[in-house]
Amino acid sequence: MTAFLRAVAEIISGVVAELSDQNAYRRHLAAHGAVHSPEEWRRFQDEHWAAKSRRGRCC
Amino acid sequence: MGKNLGRVLWAAIALAAAFSMGAVAQSRGEPVNSTWLVIASVCTYLVGYRFYARFVAARVMALDDKRATPAERLRDGHDFEPTNKWIVFGHHFAAIAGPGPLVGPTLAAQFGYLPGFLWIVIGATLGGAIQDFVILFGSLRRDGKSLGQMAREEVGKVGGFTALITVLLIMIILLAVIGLVVVNALKDSPWGAFTIFATMPIAVLMGLYLRYWRPGKVGEASLIGFILVMSAVWGGQAVAQSATLAPWFTLSGKQLAAALILYGFLASSLPVWLLLAPRDYLSTFVKLGVVILLGAGIVLVRPDLQLPPLTRFIDGTGPIFAGKIFPFCFITIACGAVSGFHALISSGTTPKLLSRERDAYGVGYGSMLLESFVAVMALIAAASLQPGVYFAVNSPAGVVGAAPAAATATITNWGFPVSPQEMSTMADQVGEKTLFNRTGGAPSLALGMAHIFVSSTGGRAFMGFWYHFAIMFEALFILTTLDAGTRVGRFMLQDLLGHAWPQLGRTSWMPGILGTSAVIVLAWGYFLYQGVVDPLGGINSLWPLFGIANQLLAAVALCVGTTILVKMHGAKFMWVTCVPLVWLVAVCFTAGWQKIFSPLPALGFLAQADQLAAGPQTAVTATLVFNARLDAAVTGIFLVLVATILIDSVRVWAGILGGRRTAKSTETPFVPTRLAEEL
Repeated sequence: MTAFLRAVAEIISGVVAELSDQNAYRRHLAAHGAVHSPEEWRRFQDEHWAAKSRRGRCC
Repeated sequence: MGKNLGRVLWAAIALAAAFSMGAVAQSRGEPVNSTWLVIASVCTYLVGYRFYARFVAARVMALDDKRATPAERLRDGHDFEPTNKWIVFGHHFAAIAGPGPLVGPTLAAQFGYLPGFLWIVIGATLGGAIQDFVILFGSLRRDGKSLGQMAREEVGKVGGFTALITVLLIMIILLAVIGLVVVNALKDSPWGAFTIFATMPIAVLMGLYLRYWRPGKVGEASLIGFILVMSAVWGGQAVAQSATLAPWFTLSGKQLAAALILYGFLASSLPVWLLLAPRDYLSTFVKLGVVILLGAGIVLVRPDLQLPPLTRFIDGTGPIFAGKIFPFCFITIACGAVSGFHALISSGTTPKLLSRERDAYGVGYGSMLLESFVAVMALIAAASLQPGVYFAVNSPAGVVGAAPAAATATITNWGFPVSPQEMSTMADQVGEKTLFNRTGGAPSLALGMAHIFVSSTGGRAFMGFWYHFAIMFEALFILTTLDAGTRVGRFMLQDLLGHAWPQLGRTSWMPGILGTSAVIVLAWGYFLYQGVVDPLGGINSLWPLFGIANQLLAAVALCVGTTILVKMHGAKFMWVTCVPLVWLVAVCFTAGWQKIFSPLPALGFLAQADQLAAGPQTAVTATLVFNARLDAAVTGIFLVLVATILIDSVRVWAGILGGRRTAKSTETPFVPTRLAEEL
């Protein structure tokens, strides 16, 4: 039961991290071999949202 | 033993689905409890998911976990990244769930709850979820290509170009109609208008917080934003009661439309991190939270449905929108049953994240079932209102009369008793001056949701708070679609115009950004304005137009899906996508034809124009005549565009099946996965 609850909590935190772009930022840092800094976050934001804002949003 | 137990369990689920569906369908005279709808829908989804979708996954698509997905083969740490299936599920669901499944079922409840309910559940199980699943599968096997790219490569150049134009036109109509829903919800409502206006500086504050003060702390910024938005909902009551502030936020439809148009322009032109990104975070979390809250509320309260299963308006004389149950019930509810827009998401980010082919089964098919369930919840919330109240809120003044006494007399004569006192008391409870003629679906849905929240938490004194919380949720949701859609429309226009003048295609050239933003905003702004000045409330003409457009996009997606299946298996499994395609073509073309050519002025755009042209001529009449003819032309363009893709597709299928054309697939070759050990 504890293992099940832990798995559910991990999934929920994973979904929240995906929706809040934390996973995408982690991938960005790994891809660029960079560490978190205000400048790096701003670069990520600009790149990520330039692509994201081109995608259709459902009705 | 285990296998037998499984068979017994699935037989029990199937029986529960059939029995509860029968209970919902057979009930007459007495209110039905919403629990029946919940059981009927959930059990049907389970059976569809376990048997039909699994059959399609195994036999039709032959999903193969040994095959490397684009996320693995093209992994770049940005777009392509193997991701846990539940996380992709959450991501995909958040992207497909928009305001459509909330508003459509609310409006279609004018036929009674039964037609909408059956269409939502059956349409999603056999049509909508299949469309999403097949397109996701097609894109997954083609390096994550978009619907437009697949249309071009599988069907032909004509199909690809037509799909692009169709999407752009649909986007314009979509933005106009959802804008109209917000305008009608906030019209003459200082509490609602204040709350929504407050979300804009709150989003800017969140943007600055994330950019400069606490870079990367999305959770913190979203929490602060949520607390501030809830404070705005709470504070809105004081604003509405203030003699000084209330007039500032008591806005007419035209003023609100102008504000929305300005907002759309700013959102499309300003840096994305300042307004669009923070609103998107806030809206996503509020959306998921409210959906869960509404689900819990319905399970706890188990409200009775007050609307009858069928109303007298199945004959096409409905006050909310004109037209008979066929085809208009199936046009009004698009998202929640079948939504063409989902094909854009299924061929967007999602195929680039799936780590295993079989994950497409749960993500593609399962997410649509969940959205369908959101639509069922919206229908329950709307149908739990007293029918008289439901029609008083949703009927335009042009149909029932502007004065409360006239409106209630008309609605009572229809067989749905309601009194001016009842409406006045309800308006007082939710902190509004009036609830009459609030067309668009959002206010009646908010009333239904507020009733459920109040009943599950207690405290009738909070009715006003919950009503405005629900309005805030719907408007926040819609505005996020509106600002993102305007930006996407701008990019699409820049891409198109860039072929003629490359400078316009540059997304960093400010005159190009401002010019194309203005074109997109003015295009949907015109239709929005048209809806605002329409004496019948605008929803009557714009929502069916949007429904037709969205369902036609689904027809385009199903044409692409059928072409893929024909190339894989010949005619053997083409029924999987052809059955929903034939249904949608019948529905859309019948609805489109009636909207253009019906001799009834309430239904046919041209008849409406002729009737207006024959009456006294004023500047307003001339505009209304032009608008009706414009709507007829837009509907005609949609039908021609989709007929073009359909004919092109049938030509390709006939060629392949007749042996005159080779079934040249654009599927990427099999590459074995290496992720098995990693995952």
